[in-house]
Amino acid sequence: MLILLLMNSLLSPAQTATREYQLKAAFLLNFTHFVEWPETIFPSNSATLVIGVLGQNPFGNYLEEITAGEKVNGHPVAIHYYKNMEAIKTCHILFINFTETNKLEQAIEHLKNRNILTVSDAADFPRYGGMIRFFTKDNKIKIQVNVEAVRAASLVISSKLLRLAEIFNPKENS
Amino acid sequence: MLRIIFLINGIILLVTCAAFFIYEFYVFRKGTVEKLSTISKIISVNSTAALSFDDADAAKEILLALKTERHIMAACLYDKNGKIFAQYPDSASVSSFPAKTGMQGYVFSRSDIEGFEPIRQDNAMLGTLYIKSDLGTMYQRFRLYAFIVALVIIISFVLAYLLSKILQKSISAPILALANTAKVISEQKNYSVRAVKKSKDEVGSLTEAFNHMLEQIEKQNHDLSEFNQTLEQRIAERTVQLESVNKELEAFSYSISHDLRAPLRGIISFTSILEESYGNRLDNEAKRLTSVIKQNTLRMGNLIDDLLTFSRMSRQDIVKNNIDTAALVKTTIAEIDIPERSIKWEVQSLPGSYGDVNTIRQVWINLISNAVKYSRNIADPVIEIGSFNEKGQDIFFVKDNGVGFDPKYKEKLFRVFQRLHTVNEFEGTGVGLAIVEKIISKHGGKVWADAEKGAGATFYFSLPQNNFA
Repeated sequence: MLILLLMNSLLSPAQTATREYQLKAAFLLNFTHFVEWPETIFPSNSATLVIGVLGQNPFGNYLEEITAGEKVNGHPVAIHYYKNMEAIKTCHILFINFTETNKLEQAIEHLKNRNILTVSDAADFPRYGGMIRFFTKDNKIKIQVNVEAVRAASLVISSKLLRLAEIFNPKENS
Repeated sequence: MLRIIFLINGIILLVTCAAFFIYEFYVFRKGTVEKLSTISKIISVNSTAALSFDDADAAKEILLALKTERHIMAACLYDKNGKIFAQYPDSASVSSFPAKTGMQGYVFSRSDIEGFEPIRQDNAMLGTLYIKSDLGTMYQRFRLYAFIVALVIIISFVLAYLLSKILQKSISAPILALANTAKVISEQKNYSVRAVKKSKDEVGSLTEAFNHMLEQIEKQNHDLSEFNQTLEQRIAERTVQLESVNKELEAFSYSISHDLRAPLRGIISFTSILEESYGNRLDNEAKRLTSVIKQNTLRMGNLIDDLLTFSRMSRQDIVKNNIDTAALVKTTIAEIDIPERSIKWEVQSLPGSYGDVNTIRQVWINLISNAVKYSRNIADPVIEIGSFNEKGQDIFFVKDNGVGFDPKYKEKLFRVFQRLHTVNEFEGTGVGLAIVEKIISKHGGKVWADAEKGAGATFYFSLPQNNFA
């Protein structure tokens, strides 16, 4: 497994994902088990659940790999890559890979009322209304959750996930 | 009886308690498994996120919640590779947990219950929960049960004992008292005693019936003794009557002897005077006539004597003693024998007998003289005297080879005045054998005879032996 990983990393960086992003990809998939979307969002029980990446794709093929053949509550999982906001049609989880603050704000603003779980690495993500932020602590990937934003999007995050997360407090300077 | 009741009571109680115990054991075990299973499932469900997101701290925190359940001794979460992800209690060494995960389910050991619960999410295995709980509550419960059982058994024994004591008082005691009264009455033969009726129930009725029966017995006893008295009285009266009759008879026979004899003596003496004084003047016919008169008077005298003897025999009491039979017979033969006849005497050895010596002597005299008399006309008279023992009695016999008699008259022989021959053939009054019969019956024996006409006769008599010899 380790050899494969090494070999992977020797290949074109664009094709492979770092260990960190592999884990984050797994997290993205796992989020599907702990988030509830409004009932209306799935036209049927077998409608596809979409995980999207906005901006540059840091995951390589990894997302496809881990979601291949996987079903979440009967929903098959598909991965979409978006270059811009307008391209987003049906999406349930969106990983926003922008670093510029204004682009970030723009995107978030655009996604209001869309019932999409927004995830990012960006440092101030929750402050701008982003829902979940990845950060690293003690060599482990942790998440920070902006529960207001989640609620605003009519999404429900399971307490099981929330207990693992750091809750974003808007009064503090995160 | 009491012991049996106790034993049965104890057995029933023990069996019942054992049944409950076993039932409780299984129910509790099942409950324990269910409870542990529930806890495990809750923990499993809660730890899906922690496992999914590799958050060991969160997992540990989740396991810490088990602290609230005192009996959970240990728990740990294995990740999907079977490696320990989080453990409870934190201080426990890794070796205290199983090295690898086992099958889903729970296993009882002597002191604890442990098991594995898989953690799944949408058919994907996230990891496994291991949990171990002690059986403290179970044993605690059983101890309580055992205590209750012991208490129940003790209480019921005490109750049973008390109840039986009460019952004994009201049932057994009166019955035993009644039995005791019966025993006392039987031993002392005092039928005037009555049992005391203590209660109005069945035992009371029994007592009443018992007393009633005693009354009956008493009454019957009284009647019997009265009757007895009446009988005694009647016997006394009869005895008096008999005695007076006897006295009359005595007087009668005395008077016969005396008063009949007197004229007889007169006849004899005057006939003798006639013979002596006027002998020379009497012709042969006259002499013959006087001789006949004399003979007849002699005969009458003999008859009277014999009758008197017979009646005396009837009245007299016999005094029994040991008799030397051989000596008695010898002397009798000596007296009766007529040497001129050359009678051949064959006397066997005779055993001693037990009886009244005087009357038995008379028996021998009569029988032997009869034998002699009735063998007068034969050439070689042989008289045999002997004895044999039959059924514990001595039987004596006198056998002659004289004239004998027709055996069809053997019953008549022993009656008074019965003669089978005329006085011309053989003299005699016919009383001799009757006397023998009377004497022997008084001794409690029997007489009988057997004969052949013209070939002799045998006379037997039996004498019972002395019972106290």
